[in-house]
Amino acid sequence: MGTTDTRVRRRSAGAWFADTGWRHVVAIVVSIFALFPLLYVVSASLNPKGTLTGSNQLFSAIGIDSYVRILTDPQNPYVSWFGNTLLIASVTGAVTVFIGACAAYAFSRMRFAGRRVGLVTIVVVQMFPQLLAVVAIFLLMSTLGDWFPAIGLNTHTGLILVYLGGALGVNTYLMYGFFNTIPKELDEAARIDGAGHARIFFTIILRLVAPILAVVGLLSFIGTVNEYVIASVILIEPEQQTLVVGLTKLVANPRYADWSAFSAGAVMAAIPVMILFLFLQRYIVGGLTAGATKG
Amino acid sequence: MTETVEPTAPQTTRQRRAARIAEAASVPIGWILLKILLLAVVDAVAVYAVFVLFTHAEWLILAVVVAVTVLVNYIYFSRKRVPAKYLTPGIIFLVVFQVFTLLYTGYIGFTNYGTGHNGSKEQAVSSLLASAQERVEDSPTFPVTVVEQFGTYGLLVTDPDSGDALLGTADQPLQQVQAEFDGGKAVAVDGWTTLPLATVFTLSEELENLSVPFSDDPNDGSLRAPDGQSGYLYVSTLEYDADADAITDTQTGTVYADIGTGAFTADDGTELLPGWQVTVGFDNFVRAVTDSSIRGPLISVTIWTFVFAIISVASTFFLGLLLALVFNNTRMRFRNGYRIIMILPYAFPAFLSALVWAGMMNESFGFINQVIFGGADIPWLTDPTLAKVSILIVNLWLGFPYMFLVCMGALQGIPEDVNEAAVMDGANPWQIFRRIKLPLLLVTVAPLLISSFAFNFNNFNLIYMLTGGGPRFSDVSIPVGHTDILISMVYKVAFTGQTRDYGLASAFTILIFLVVATISIVSFRKTKALEELN
Amino acid sequence: MKVNKRGIAAAGAIAIVSTLSLAGCSTGTSGNDSADSGDAGTSKLVVWVDAERVDALKDAAASYEDKTGVTVQLVGKSVDDMKDDFIQQVPTGKGPDVVMGAHDWLGELSTNGVVAPLELGDSADDYLPVALQAATYDGTVYMLPYAVENIAVLRNADLVPTAPTSFDDMISKGTFVVEQGAEGNPYHLYPFQTAFGAPVFGTDDSGSYDSTDLQLGSEGGFAFADWLAAQGTAGTLNTDIDGEIAKQQFLDGKAAFWLTGPWNVGAATDAGINVEIDPVPSPTGETASPFAGVKGFFVSAESKNKVAANDFLVNYLGTEEVQLALFKAGNVLPALTAAADTAASDKIVAGFQAVGADAVPMPAIPAMGAVWQYWGVAEAAIINGADPKTTWQKLVDDVAAAIK
Repeated sequence: MGTTDTRVRRRSAGAWFADTGWRHVVAIVVSIFALFPLLYVVSASLNPKGTLTGSNQLFSAIGIDSYVRILTDPQNPYVSWFGNTLLIASVTGAVTVFIGACAAYAFSRMRFAGRRVGLVTIVVVQMFPQLLAVVAIFLLMSTLGDWFPAIGLNTHTGLILVYLGGALGVNTYLMYGFFNTIPKELDEAARIDGAGHARIFFTIILRLVAPILAVVGLLSFIGTVNEYVIASVILIEPEQQTLVVGLTKLVANPRYADWSAFSAGAVMAAIPVMILFLFLQRYIVGGLTAGATKG
Repeated sequence: MTETVEPTAPQTTRQRRAARIAEAASVPIGWILLKILLLAVVDAVAVYAVFVLFTHAEWLILAVVVAVTVLVNYIYFSRKRVPAKYLTPGIIFLVVFQVFTLLYTGYIGFTNYGTGHNGSKEQAVSSLLASAQERVEDSPTFPVTVVEQFGTYGLLVTDPDSGDALLGTADQPLQQVQAEFDGGKAVAVDGWTTLPLATVFTLSEELENLSVPFSDDPNDGSLRAPDGQSGYLYVSTLEYDADADAITDTQTGTVYADIGTGAFTADDGTELLPGWQVTVGFDNFVRAVTDSSIRGPLISVTIWTFVFAIISVASTFFLGLLLALVFNNTRMRFRNGYRIIMILPYAFPAFLSALVWAGMMNESFGFINQVIFGGADIPWLTDPTLAKVSILIVNLWLGFPYMFLVCMGALQGIPEDVNEAAVMDGANPWQIFRRIKLPLLLVTVAPLLISSFAFNFNNFNLIYMLTGGGPRFSDVSIPVGHTDILISMVYKVAFTGQTRDYGLASAFTILIFLVVATISIVSFRKTKALEELN
Repeated sequence: MKVNKRGIAAAGAIAIVSTLSLAGCSTGTSGNDSADSGDAGTSKLVVWVDAERVDALKDAAASYEDKTGVTVQLVGKSVDDMKDDFIQQVPTGKGPDVVMGAHDWLGELSTNGVVAPLELGDSADDYLPVALQAATYDGTVYMLPYAVENIAVLRNADLVPTAPTSFDDMISKGTFVVEQGAEGNPYHLYPFQTAFGAPVFGTDDSGSYDSTDLQLGSEGGFAFADWLAAQGTAGTLNTDIDGEIAKQQFLDGKAAFWLTGPWNVGAATDAGINVEIDPVPSPTGETASPFAGVKGFFVSAESKNKVAANDFLVNYLGTEEVQLALFKAGNVLPALTAAADTAASDKIVAGFQAVGADAVPMPAIPAMGAVWQYWGVAEAAIINGADPKTTWQKLVDDVAAAIK
């Protein structure tokens, strides 16, 4: 890194701009676009009595009352919501990555009847408008719950299982495309050495596709954290609910909406996503960095 | 393991790979044990499930569970069926939770499910009869004690006028008995067990059916005790004849018969609601394609739906790709910080963001007009054209982080040596991108673009949250507006006012799905050609 | 590379452990399900309530449990989903026993057969007339009324010390705000509409709304439309002012009058504003009657605990003591007359109650759904300069067509 820095300093401003300077210009413009609406949310979270969009005077009052309120109100078990969300999203994300990677491996490396049709089917199935999904899922889970209460309504396990129904889908396709970019000579060489399909998958392929596993894991995690419709129907008791379901109740009735506490909750809810991204980023761009520095 | 291998790692790629493969060849037995262990767990769960289903006498489901378990065991113990080993878990989840929802929606398209046809016939009958109970005019409140004798429930009633105790059951009209009194209320009678209130509370169904005739004359009404403590005299205005399968209005004499349309209907066509769910064949589809109210706006809404979906996909993809490329440079500082900022819009609940955007775009008070444009009156959400632009801007904001993440990952699949080779050949960065990187990238992400198109084609939530479809068309009779897309328009048709016609909505949904699926499958064919490049 | 490998091993481990624990859960805990479902002689009522009311009902639920042994489980639901979820879940037999809702749901609930009649017995006369009328649908009582809400004018008494005598008087004394929005807000404009003698529906002999008698298109309706257009031109009514902006304007002292409901009084007093409650100033001299909304409780038609549910509602929530306790916790006017009179010792409550005396229940008939769909947008269009006559006529035609 040290060498990189000195190289930058030595170059002229024009060269700097041509190489990385313009990138900063793009980054700053898009950052403003990305952050601006969120300033309203942060501002509302810091203004204990304010409205969300009633005023353009951002940050007119600063206080952490709303954060204290949302964290300590026994009626809104924010900490439970937070824990539930982390648990459900982590398990869903991890299992989704695993199931999806298995399927992508089969589609990418094996040739079997119905392969092409299967690939298209799993994506097209998920394009079906989810108009009655809630009714269907409720029926299904309440019936399942009659027989097996541990995976019925009001259970995290049940909700995770429903989410895993979406484990095969467009993400599988994303992985499939990435798997295809890994040269097949690798597998063939391993197979000649006597390695079975499972060993090739677990010890060779999975390592090489780490970036896409990290991306899919992150997408699945964020998707699960922000999912409202199914979670609100399956999770009934406040202590069992996820962040979005719990927080939405604070503002569902516009007459009594507590936007300040809601915003505070949403700001804190974004933190795990950022941490996970920071953590996974190494895997997503890691290969490239390693290649570049070595080269 | 790796630590000992890596320092001495050979220099060429081929050799490095060979070394890794050799290393991989040294861990066989653990996987087999793990496989057996996992299968044992699956089988144990299956055995438990079979047991539970057996106790519930759910034979069909039981058979399915057994069949699936046998199949799973076969797949994993067989030496063939290799693809199935990798696909089975996902497919099981997909079938149970996604295909089920799809089939259910499809099934509803062939029923009359909706407002007034919400449950079963049994429920409809009991609900109709319950609502038809009219309290006998000027009748008093009777203090009531619930009693039981050999499994028969009775009401021990105190006549508020005379103070006498009366006892009756569903079959036996009230007659005077000798009873013990407590504070003027009859509380016990010989031969009958007085039930404590806590027990009465658990006898909801029994008490609901316990209607004690006041006398032999039905016009005197029957006594019911809805809360188990106070009785009231009711006469029913409706009578259900199970044999004739018809309901008679006792006041007018009108007979409402089950004519197969899911509601008791009189000869003149009047329906008693609630009715119940029945299958109606292709009626909903016929109504969906012949519905005249959507004719007017159909063309402009369809055009806008395609424009919206295509521009949304294109704008989010190109911004996401641009950012992924911009940050794909190791000499750039603060890359990690920028990347975090880029995914932030994705980390907040979409409805919150949509509300903020709507607030910012308010014509007289919003930040954009007041602060950025210094008090201008730009009708961001109320002018037909600008509202469309606004929706596209907000959808870009909501969607580019997804594309950014996807492109970031997909870029890693493009080997760096391709780039180097092209630079050697004297290609400029734009040519490298256009001729080499983009086609390679599209191999991976083209299916996602198709899927994103399908998602936006049906992106009901965004439209609903931001404009609700408005501004409205001024020349049509349904509440559809300039920013409505097909799916939000058909919902408005199927869910007018308080009426929810799920059957019609499902039929519309299926038709729209057929359109989207056709477009997608055709596009997938095209991407197949792309794939062969690889 | 090393990092990558460990990471994947970890991911694999998580996947395996979670699979195992999922499987473990399903075998481990479900052994005692048969013990749970059996009737052990106690009942449990599942009650859905608006999330923001859970606090108010918590104590009442606990003391009912102490009194009778019946467990009351309060489930705070988002008010947006509650009605549709209730209608969808009741037929499956899985829905709640009792649901809190607004009286204008009644037409829909009853048409769907998901709500059971409720016998108020002799206590029916103890409720405010408007509450009892709202709880009745098609001659049958279905709801235990709990609170009555209507809008009134909140006046910043530091800016304007005396109540205005008419709408024009109010406008001359200070800035007036009322919640609108791009799609209008007919609920908040209804008092002015009634002042022009144009209710939505006429009523039949029994006082119930008659969907065949659409009064929207009467002469008064068009007079009201002209008035709306005039106010829009004058800037008194502005569709850019939504609930948030109206609130902020009043809280910041920029607006002296705010037409809103009791739910916003707390925010105003918290902001240190000296609030007085005034009747809605009439633009015509006739009384301006707002809609009354009655909150209450419904029993599910498929409840397995109807006896306990009836007892909880009629014999417990309907008592003066509990209604007063709910009032103290929730600060909305009780529906029980005796409790309402006690609560009216508070001048704010008294202010709303006085306005509420002129209020009319919001129609619960299903036809009202069609009205809502067109009403606000038409009003918004007129405020924004559309021709009042043709726009109002289109509203009347669209509603008539939709009801038919």
